[in-house]
Amino acid sequence: MSTTGDIRKDTGRSVFGWIKSRFPTVPYADLTRVVLETDQRQLPRSHAEKYELKTIWYWYPLYCLGGIAFIAFIVLTITGILLGFFYVPDGRLEINASGDLTNPAWRSMLIIMNDIPFGFIIRGMHHWAAHIMIAAVFLHMCRVYFTGAYKKPRELNWLLGVVLLLLTLAFGYSGYLLPANNLSEGAANIGINMSRASPVIGDVLARLLFGDINTLSGVYILRFYWLHVFILPLIVTGLIVLHMGLVWLQGVAEPH
Amino acid sequence: MEIERVKEKIMEGRPGFPRQYGPQRVDHQPGIPLFPQEATRDFVTIFLLTAIMFFLSAFVTPFLGPARSPQLSELIVPDWYLLFSWGLLKVADIFPQFVLGKGTPLEANFNAAFWGDLLSGIPVIALLILPFLDRGRETRPAKAPIRSAVGLVGIASIFTSSLYSIREVVAQRWVSPNGAALIPDGTMKWFFIIPPALVGLTSYIALRRLAFMPMRRWLLPYVAGLTLLMAVQIAWIFITPGGLGAEAWPFVLPIGIALFILFAPMVVTTFVLFKQPDTVVRKVSTWAGGLGLVGFIAFTIVLPVVAGRAALGWVLSVLWPNMNTLVFFPLFGVLTAWLGTRRPYSTYEYLLNECYQCGKCHTVCPVTKVEDDALGGLNLVYNSFKKQHDGVPLWTCLACDACSAVCPLDIQYSDYILEERAKVHARMAADGGRKE
Repeated sequence: MSTTGDIRKDTGRSVFGWIKSRFPTVPYADLTRVVLETDQRQLPRSHAEKYELKTIWYWYPLYCLGGIAFIAFIVLTITGILLGFFYVPDGRLEINASGDLTNPAWRSMLIIMNDIPFGFIIRGMHHWAAHIMIAAVFLHMCRVYFTGAYKKPRELNWLLGVVLLLLTLAFGYSGYLLPANNLSEGAANIGINMSRASPVIGDVLARLLFGDINTLSGVYILRFYWLHVFILPLIVTGLIVLHMGLVWLQGVAEPH
Repeated sequence: MEIERVKEKIMEGRPGFPRQYGPQRVDHQPGIPLFPQEATRDFVTIFLLTAIMFFLSAFVTPFLGPARSPQLSELIVPDWYLLFSWGLLKVADIFPQFVLGKGTPLEANFNAAFWGDLLSGIPVIALLILPFLDRGRETRPAKAPIRSAVGLVGIASIFTSSLYSIREVVAQRWVSPNGAALIPDGTMKWFFIIPPALVGLTSYIALRRLAFMPMRRWLLPYVAGLTLLMAVQIAWIFITPGGLGAEAWPFVLPIGIALFILFAPMVVTTFVLFKQPDTVVRKVSTWAGGLGLVGFIAFTIVLPVVAGRAALGWVLSVLWPNMNTLVFFPLFGVLTAWLGTRRPYSTYEYLLNECYQCGKCHTVCPVTKVEDDALGGLNLVYNSFKKQHDGVPLWTCLACDACSAVCPLDIQYSDYILEERAKVHARMAADGGRKE
């Protein structure tokens, strides 16, 4: 390898050259660029550029609701990762020294709220971003409905959106089960009773979702923790990518 | 360079290859650029949203409460977005409850919880099959009145169902002077049907009127029917022995005044709907509705001062249990009469909104071939719609209808021109025939 004699230039050359020769990204990046350009699809192009808009429709401000839901999802991911360092997904009942009923999950919530630096604000952000995301998803669905944006050829994306709405509600529900407080107990009871009400498979369904047919063992906390931090994020992130990818391919629905 | 010549020969001018590509691309990109204009707007939205989240989390503490315990006694209210499902779960006890196949492995217990599950599934299924049910072409909400009305019915149903889920809170918080619930369970169950139906019919009539349909045939049975039902309800309160109740009888005068304030606008509106043209109905319903609203607010403020708080309590104990008929009917009846007879802003502006500016009308317009102004870029259709250039585009049009003939959306432009000219003539006539 040739050197220039300047240690600052040589470092960059040698280090990046070493990586480049083992991980050749350039041809692939170049290929992508060529493909995009030959297809005349410039990335990114704004909606107004793409459709040569000259007039602004008074519904356009509502077209940002899907984006707001996505931003809230990103905030939820960041704050959720931070909360995950301190939260203990263990809802088993125990009696503390003064004879009160507690559980490790609820105690870890107290630690997050009172002792961890910025834990209070991180949980607040997670809480409010969740509310904003659900409201934005619902209003986004209303916008799509009233502007008829679900019509051909966007039926598939509407179905994806309905699934995402349900998964967002599942995110919300599993999220507020986790603090292991009174609200969690009551909501878990309602959920277990609703699952058990299904004929034939009721109890099996309740055991599958909540780990038990009542809340006594507290195992529902662990179930919903894993749903909330792994299964749901995995599915929802994938579906969001598909959802937004379809919007990019099909274009934003115009009320023409 | 050899490679440049190869590039020109093989790539340029071929379909699918722009003449310029890469960073050198200079061909015109119309519209608002992504950067910096749209990016700035997006960043403002993102920062504002994040700021709101920080603000809320700093000042409104998320609820934690005591640790969970199996001896749960206090009322649990789930988060707001699940209330609709919980409301459906609670109202499900009105359905028949029975067991199918008792004792067999396939035993199905049709209890309230199962009916609640089924009810919660209905909106989900409706959303899933929606794009396959509604295959019409119209996308604008104002042009698809049935779809828009159904959507508003759905939103109203979510609200009423959520309200029913907190029926215990409502029953505890609002009580009549004798301790009974001000909004009883039966009234709240009717909320599932009456307010959504009123919202749906009213928005359907209003949206059809926006498209210039004469809505008398809808308005008459609707408003008159509501008035009739309300009259029956009022008669039932005063005539039947248990209608008013012995404790409320001393307050019969304020109760009568309140019912008059609510009922009189309905009667007046129904009367003019039968007798008078749209313009009169519009004016009368505006005044009747406005006076009724102001009168009712003034009444609730003045009554406690004049006759004491108990009087207002007894008035509300008559109105609120019959909220569906005594409060919602006049509200929606007068509003619908006004919406169904109002004059939309302009016939052809509503239709011209469909224009997506393909420019075909401008190409065929004969005036643009001879008129000096038009040669300088004047577009008769666009400029007269935007009321530009001192009326030159409006008055130079020949009404030859060539533009309507080529319009891909079939917009009858010459009708619009003639209507606009007629409006100007009408204004001039109203001014005594002199020029403006």
